[in-house]
Amino acid sequence: MAIPAHNEAATLGEVINRVRASTPEFDLLIVDDGSQDNTSEILKELKVVTATHFCNLGYGRAIQTAVKYALSLEYDVLITLDADGQHNPEEIRLLFEEFFAGGWDMVIGSRHLTKKSYSDTSFGRRIGMLLFSVLVKATTGKRVYDTSSGLRVIGRNVFEPLTYSQFVDFHAEAIVYLLRLSYRVGEYPISVGRRVKGRSMYSALSHFKYPLKTFLMVFLGIVQASLTRRGNRQ
Amino acid sequence: MTLQGIVVLNLIAVALLLWVANLVRRGALYAGYGVIFILVTLSVMIVLSIPQLLSLLVRLVGAVFPVSALTLLALCFIVFMLVYILTQVTVLSNRLATLAQGLAIQQAKEQAERKASEAAFE
Repeated sequence: MAIPAHNEAATLGEVINRVRASTPEFDLLIVDDGSQDNTSEILKELKVVTATHFCNLGYGRAIQTAVKYALSLEYDVLITLDADGQHNPEEIRLLFEEFFAGGWDMVIGSRHLTKKSYSDTSFGRRIGMLLFSVLVKATTGKRVYDTSSGLRVIGRNVFEPLTYSQFVDFHAEAIVYLLRLSYRVGEYPISVGRRVKGRSMYSALSHFKYPLKTFLMVFLGIVQASLTRRGNRQ
Repeated sequence: MTLQGIVVLNLIAVALLLWVANLVRRGALYAGYGVIFILVTLSVMIVLSIPQLLSLLVRLVGAVFPVSALTLLALCFIVFMLVYILTQVTVLSNRLATLAQGLAIQQAKEQAERKASEAAFE
């Protein structure tokens, strides 16, 4: 299981303890993405295996480091979880069971699958989520309700393709990339709490930058998937 | 173009050549980038020195005055260089990211091995 963290000292300790309590048999890796607060001290104190980026590389790269780590140590499954404490670690096992039961290559913990609406989020976020969901549907034919969820179960089959491409946020672009490569991506309903400590990685400016970046990355994800497919055929 | 304009531009070109050559010599500019500037500057100097060549360039670009043609070409060169430099920055940033990821994974693997051996010892 991997938790990418960038300046998440306020919540990380509690998240690690909850994860350890709910899934003690899973190996845990924290990807410290160049944190400048006391995240590293907390990690040392908790004696958790840590992959530390010496500079901030971004969320997508942090996930990719976890994928590369899982690939090199020949793990069968990688579970990713956000460090902000919004996910419920007790639901990881359900997601994990669904991964095997459904024969998926990646399962996303979805906040909106049950209701199939975004009514419980702010107006701006609602539009963004709907837009990305429609974008995934338009480019792959499959509706994914929660493209930006950080709780995912990723299978070994897709470790290698995920290292070929560069993902900025590992959200819609990664989903489109995998679906275009004919991998099976599913969703499973989860509950998500509100962030009570720390700061979101999204600033006011990123509300404009993020959609544009995601559109570009989705387009590039389609191109990359075609290149990967062609490379595999040769 | 007036003789004064040609002389001024040639003087600027010579100064640029000397500056670039000195930067390459000191290792402050990669020789590959230096060559681009030297080639472009020498080309401009040749065009400025041969009036027929300058007239041909003005006609080809569709400009009325030689100064407009040279300005347009200079702008194109700046845009080209900007894109080229950004691609080089991206290449370096990708290399840096791969290096950072490799180091982080190696470090995590060592920690995991140490942890496993400690667990086995206990």
